[in-house]
Amino acid sequence: MTSPGIADLQTDPAEEKILEQVATLLREVIGEEYVLDLQITLETSFNEDLELESIEFVTLADRLTATYGTRVDFVGFLSEKDVDQVINMKVGEVVDYISTSLAASDG
Amino acid sequence: MAEVTANGVRLHVQRLAPPGGAGPDAPIVVTVHGMVMDNLSSFYFAIGNSLASAGAQVIAYDLRGHGKSERTATGYRLTDAMDDLSAMLDALGVDRPVHLIGNSYGATMVLAYGLANPARVASMTLVEPPFQIEGLGEEMASSLAQVSFGLSDAEVETWLEEGAGRAVTRITRSAQKLLNDTTIAADMLETEPFSPEKLRETTTPVLAIYGANSDIIHQAEELQSLVPSCTLVILEHHTHMVLREAAEYLRQLLRWWLFDRAAPQPVYSMPESRQQYVTPEWVTQMVPPPDLNAGRRAAAGAGAEAGDGVGAHAGSTTPGSTSTTPG
Repeated sequence: MTSPGIADLQTDPAEEKILEQVATLLREVIGEEYVLDLQITLETSFNEDLELESIEFVTLADRLTATYGTRVDFVGFLSEKDVDQVINMKVGEVVDYISTSLAASDG
Repeated sequence: MAEVTANGVRLHVQRLAPPGGAGPDAPIVVTVHGMVMDNLSSFYFAIGNSLASAGAQVIAYDLRGHGKSERTATGYRLTDAMDDLSAMLDALGVDRPVHLIGNSYGATMVLAYGLANPARVASMTLVEPPFQIEGLGEEMASSLAQVSFGLSDAEVETWLEEGAGRAVTRITRSAQKLLNDTTIAADMLETEPFSPEKLRETTTPVLAIYGANSDIIHQAEELQSLVPSCTLVILEHHTHMVLREAAEYLRQLLRWWLFDRAAPQPVYSMPESRQQYVTPEWVTQMVPPPDLNAGRRAAAGAGAEAGDGVGAHAGSTTPGSTSTTPG
């Protein structure tokens, strides 16, 4: 399911930078050899493609919070999502949220 | 960062707060997950971020041997878990009474902790606590032995090697190590029975939540009859896995409990899916699900959620890639 909004983001240099940061953190969190060469895109699913364990997503959120500080409210982002909704997200949804939050805090 | 050394053990801790930080009088919530096939992520996702967003300071941690906390060889008695919790609160500089929320064995631990440390505890929320006066330790040990037996089953091994997927395999392997490489099973036998007198005397508010379709629902009545300060909530259509099944309602219920207890208690209504949860027979009998590998053999991926129940009595589990439809 490619939403036009997410596809468009790929051309945005700011989005690309965020995607790169998220992908780097993801590879660190998973910490296994197979992810080193794995292409992580906005369409990559945490569950289906990466088979991320829920506690690994916790670590990812922790690292993202350390990276972006108070400019991105991850607590708010996750507050009404059940674990299945979180883990079934695509990387693009997290990138999009970070991007929107950063733009709002800059504005 | 996300690690604290407490009682000589390295514990993985996640702290959540609203944007700008929690106020000086904000409730401090500490979550205690279930045993063996569980870790802090179940509370983190089910209610942690929600309660933090509503203004609470939330501390979610992995019990020793679980999640990303250190797997020590020994020290798995209930009293060790209680000492770990006290030491962690000290290490974090928590100097006010906390609202403890536990699930399954974690809830049993919360109740024991609250009775032993009334000055440190503002309230206790018990989600599906195994509760009995006589033979609690034997029950816990027997429950663990069954889980251990189930996890060493040949069908489970086949499933892990061929069909379970990375996330479920990781949490199951971790559970196997905890059961095989530590004293946890023997330590459970040392669980001291609850004192009926202490239960009757406690003035700490208790919120107990059970699923009407849980296999331990019969324990709810005795708990309520012994604890005068107990508010009992029984959710129809739900099982021992209620934290995962009814997370949305539990978020409402906990916001009411922490912030707005003078208001009427939120009423549970069935979600739009009208999904009803029942405890599968294999959970009651504590054996591996009969169709563990059949689903995969028939259609790739099917049956992968079966891992939820292997540790059903000891704890509830939230392997990331599983669905919420047991049975």
